[in-house]
Amino acid sequence: MNFTGNNKELLLVHSDMQQVTVSEDVNVMLTPQFYTLKKEALPLSYAYQAKKIAASLFEGLLEEGRQYDYMVWKEEEEWVFLAYDMQRITAFLESKGFALEYVSKLFFTQQIVDLLETPLALGTGSALVSLDRTAVLVPRSALKEEENISWGIDKRFTPKKGVLLQGAQGSLLTVKQAALLSAAFGLFSLMFFGEGWRYSHAIKAGQSHIEVLLEAYPSLSSKYTRDSIISKYKTLDTTERKKREIIKTLSAMIFKGVTLTSFAMNEKMFTVAFSSKDAQVAKRLKALAKKNRFNISTVPGSNDLTIKGNL
Amino acid sequence: MIWKRYQNEISVLFALVMMLSGYAYKNSQFSAQQELSSGTNSSMEEIKEVIALKKIWSSKKTTQKIKKLQTLIPESKVTWRSKSKKLTVSYRGLTAAELNKLVTKILNLAVEIQKLEVKKIASSYDVEFKCKW
Repeated sequence: MNFTGNNKELLLVHSDMQQVTVSEDVNVMLTPQFYTLKKEALPLSYAYQAKKIAASLFEGLLEEGRQYDYMVWKEEEEWVFLAYDMQRITAFLESKGFALEYVSKLFFTQQIVDLLETPLALGTGSALVSLDRTAVLVPRSALKEEENISWGIDKRFTPKKGVLLQGAQGSLLTVKQAALLSAAFGLFSLMFFGEGWRYSHAIKAGQSHIEVLLEAYPSLSSKYTRDSIISKYKTLDTTERKKREIIKTLSAMIFKGVTLTSFAMNEKMFTVAFSSKDAQVAKRLKALAKKNRFNISTVPGSNDLTIKGNL
Repeated sequence: MIWKRYQNEISVLFALVMMLSGYAYKNSQFSAQQELSSGTNSSMEEIKEVIALKKIWSSKKTTQKIKKLQTLIPESKVTWRSKSKKLTVSYRGLTAAELNKLVTKILNLAVEIQKLEVKKIASSYDVEFKCKW
């Protein structure tokens, strides 16, 4: 399979050509009638640098008011600059019966100048020849040896580099715009997929943590078991902490003049009895019990205080 | 061959669809991670809580610690009855200091207090303590 595009038929296009009917993809080779050529020896290293200055090189050489595109390549010591009017080319192709959606790439005869060993006939009046490594059109009558003339080109003449016609065929986007948008969307999709992949790995990492813990405590792998254990121990924990809290609070209520007479605590309730040495102490003890929100009872005429409560 | 005419748009559309798919994938993974993360966190918390509770209330050292209740007070004042993981102990004639020491020790034991009775008899205290673990 050839991906460079030279597996398609290559048609030579010149102003005197006959009408054609195209029903499959073709490449088109344009004669010097469709482009302007300039060769310059410039101290440039890269084609993009040359392309930047191409417009200024053709100043005064091209028809004003037209939109030109440029093709640049290096030939030994010289840079070859080629200016072409895409609108004019497509209009001509359509006038000759080309359906533009079938035109894959445009090439220029200057690109195949090295292959023009013999003159190439263009209709009856003119021929394409190579003069000083430049493809030019000459009248057929000017040729010395008519018998050496070539009558056509085939796909073997297809150069590597061509101009894509997309974007000039009624497409809403140019190739450049499409490439930019596609690159931007592609970049975003890569970022999104990358981020998604990162999240999926974080999920696995989280799972591995819990797996490590469950390996140490395999009996806790079931949520039902966990809930059951939690409910059992949580109730125990809460009740026992409450018991201890009450005992600590009651202990804190024993100060000078207060004596613990009795204390009883079971799983449901508690009762405590204090005796105070005088009314003053009893009053203070009562205030403390109220502050701690205990349910108190006193015996009239006595300094004793009883506290009862549920757990 | 209409698609050829619009192949630029088709390629952009394809990239757009890829981007939207990537966005959907990222969002689905993010939601899954959030969901799983909260589930995992709650499971982790649960497991840690169970482990902590078991460590307190099912400690194997509790039996040894309980035995100290026997030696904490002079033997003559103690009546000790322990069977399996249940204890019933009576203390007679404890001083206030001994009572304080005993109660502090009981409060720091991870046992289920079933009964704790303190009675003042003259100037000393009698204690009944029943627990299981």
